[in-house]
Amino acid sequence: MTDDGLLVVETERFHGPLDLLLHLIRTQDIDIFDIPIARITRQFLEAIEGLADTRVDEAGEFLEMAALLVRIKARMLLPTPAGEEDHDPRAELVRRLLEYEMIREVAARLRAAEDDRGRRFEKGYVQPRPRPRAARTPLEVTWEDLLAAALRVEPPSPRDVEHRVAARPVALREKVGLIVEAVRRARRIEFASLVAPWRERIHGVMTLLAGLELGRRRVVSLRQREHFSPLWFYGGRNLDHGSERAVPGVASGSGDAGGDDRAAGADARGAGAAAGAGTA
Amino acid sequence: MNAARIVEAILFASDAPLSPGEIARADETLDEDRVEAALASLRAEYDDAGHAFELREVADGVQLMTRPEFAPYLERFDTVPRSSRLSGPALEALAIVAYRQPIGRIEMEYIRGVNSTGVIRTLLDRELIAAVGRGEGVGRPVLYGTTSRFMEHFGFPSMEHLPRPEELPVILRERAPLEDPPAQADEEGQGDDSPALSGEEAVAAVLAHADQRPETA
Repeated sequence: MTDDGLLVVETERFHGPLDLLLHLIRTQDIDIFDIPIARITRQFLEAIEGLADTRVDEAGEFLEMAALLVRIKARMLLPTPAGEEDHDPRAELVRRLLEYEMIREVAARLRAAEDDRGRRFEKGYVQPRPRPRAARTPLEVTWEDLLAAALRVEPPSPRDVEHRVAARPVALREKVGLIVEAVRRARRIEFASLVAPWRERIHGVMTLLAGLELGRRRVVSLRQREHFSPLWFYGGRNLDHGSERAVPGVASGSGDAGGDDRAAGADARGAGAAAGAGTA
Repeated sequence: MNAARIVEAILFASDAPLSPGEIARADETLDEDRVEAALASLRAEYDDAGHAFELREVADGVQLMTRPEFAPYLERFDTVPRSSRLSGPALEALAIVAYRQPIGRIEMEYIRGVNSTGVIRTLLDRELIAAVGRGEGVGRPVLYGTTSRFMEHFGFPSMEHLPRPEELPVILRERAPLEDPPAQADEEGQGDDSPALSGEEAVAAVLAHADQRPETA
C-alpha cells in the first residue's frame, strides 16, 4: 500500500466503520493520537466505494463516519476562536477508536474463554441412552394382586391348539379324486358342497389346492362370479384323459408315504391362503 | 457421614454449578465454611489422584467437569450438540454489556458504530444478557446486563474474572493522555442509579467517557 493510498479493503471483513478505521490506522503504523485526517479520510472513502450498491443497510453507517471525518478535517482548518480552549477536534474520535479497540480485544478474550469452556464437559453431555418411558402413575399393586390377575387370565383355548397342531394330513390325491369324480358325474360341483361333510378347515384347504392343481392342468376349470361368491368346478379339456396323472402320487394308486408327505407339506404352505378360501 | 463425601455426592449428581450455600442445604451439619473446606479437600484429592474430571468454579458456584485434554475423546463419543460459538459481532456487543452494564442499545451502537438490534436479540435469545432496568433518557430505554448463563457460557468463576484492562495489551493503555478523571463518569442522566459492577472501577476509567455524546449526534 502506498502513500497515495491504493488500498484494497474488503469491507465485508469489517464489523463496521470503526473497525475499518482502526484497520487503516493500525496497518499503516499511524500514531493514533495524531491521525492524518486528510489521508485517512481519502483511504476510508476509497475503501467504502461501491458499498452503497451492495450493502445498503450498512452503507449508512460507513457514510456517517465519512461525514464525521470530513467535518473533523474542516474544523482543523478553522482557527480556534479567541478565548476558547484549544481543543483537538479529533479527540472524541480517537477516544472512540481506542475504546472500540479495547472492546475488540475483550471480545477476543471472550472467544478464548469460550473455546476453553468448550473443551470441558459437565454432566449430561453424553447422549442419553434410549430408556423405556416411565409410567406416568406409580404402580400401586402388590404381588398378590398381580398373581390374582395372572390366575384370572384364561388358559389358551384348546380349540386353538387343535387348530394349530392337530391338522391331520389330508391326502391331496383324495381330494383330486373327489373333485374329478364329482365333475364327471354332475358336470359341475360347487366347492362348498365338496367341503361340507368335514368340519376341519384342512379339508377346505386341500380341496382348494386340489382344485387349483387340476385347474392348472386343465382337468377342471374354476369359476367364480365375483369375490366371495360360490366357487364352481367345471369339467375341463383334459377331464377324460390322464386326469389320474394330473397329480403326483395319484397314479401310483395305493397310499405311498411320499405322496402323503408332499401333501402334508402343501398343507402347511397353503394354510394361510386357504384359511381365507375356507371361510369364503 | 464425612462432609466431603456428602458434597461429592451432590456435585456428582448435579448438571449445573452449585454455590456452597446451596450445597450446605443438604445436611444440618454443613454450613458454607464446611462446604468450602470440603471443596478444597476434594479439589486436592482429584488433582492428586489424576482424575479425568476436576472441580471448577463457574458462575459463583462449583461444578465437576472433565479436564480439557479429554475433549477429543468426548467429542468422538456420542455427545449432545453443544451451544454454538457466538459470532464476532455478538461477542463485541456482549463485551460491551459485560463492562458497561447496565447499558442501553443506543449507547452500545455508539461504541460499536453499527446497528446492534440483531445481535441484542441473539444475546437475549441465548439468555446471555437480560433486560435489567430502564434508563432515564427519552423513552426510558431498556438497559441490559449479563446473566449467570453468561458466566457459564464462558466458564467464568465470577464477574470479577472478566479480563481486566490492565491485563490487556499495552496499546490500550496509551490512551492515558486523553483520559478525563473517571469521576465524571456519571454525568447527565446516562450514568444511572444502578451501582457499578464490582471490580469495574478499573474498567470504568477506560470506558466511562462514552457518555459524552458524539459531536455528530
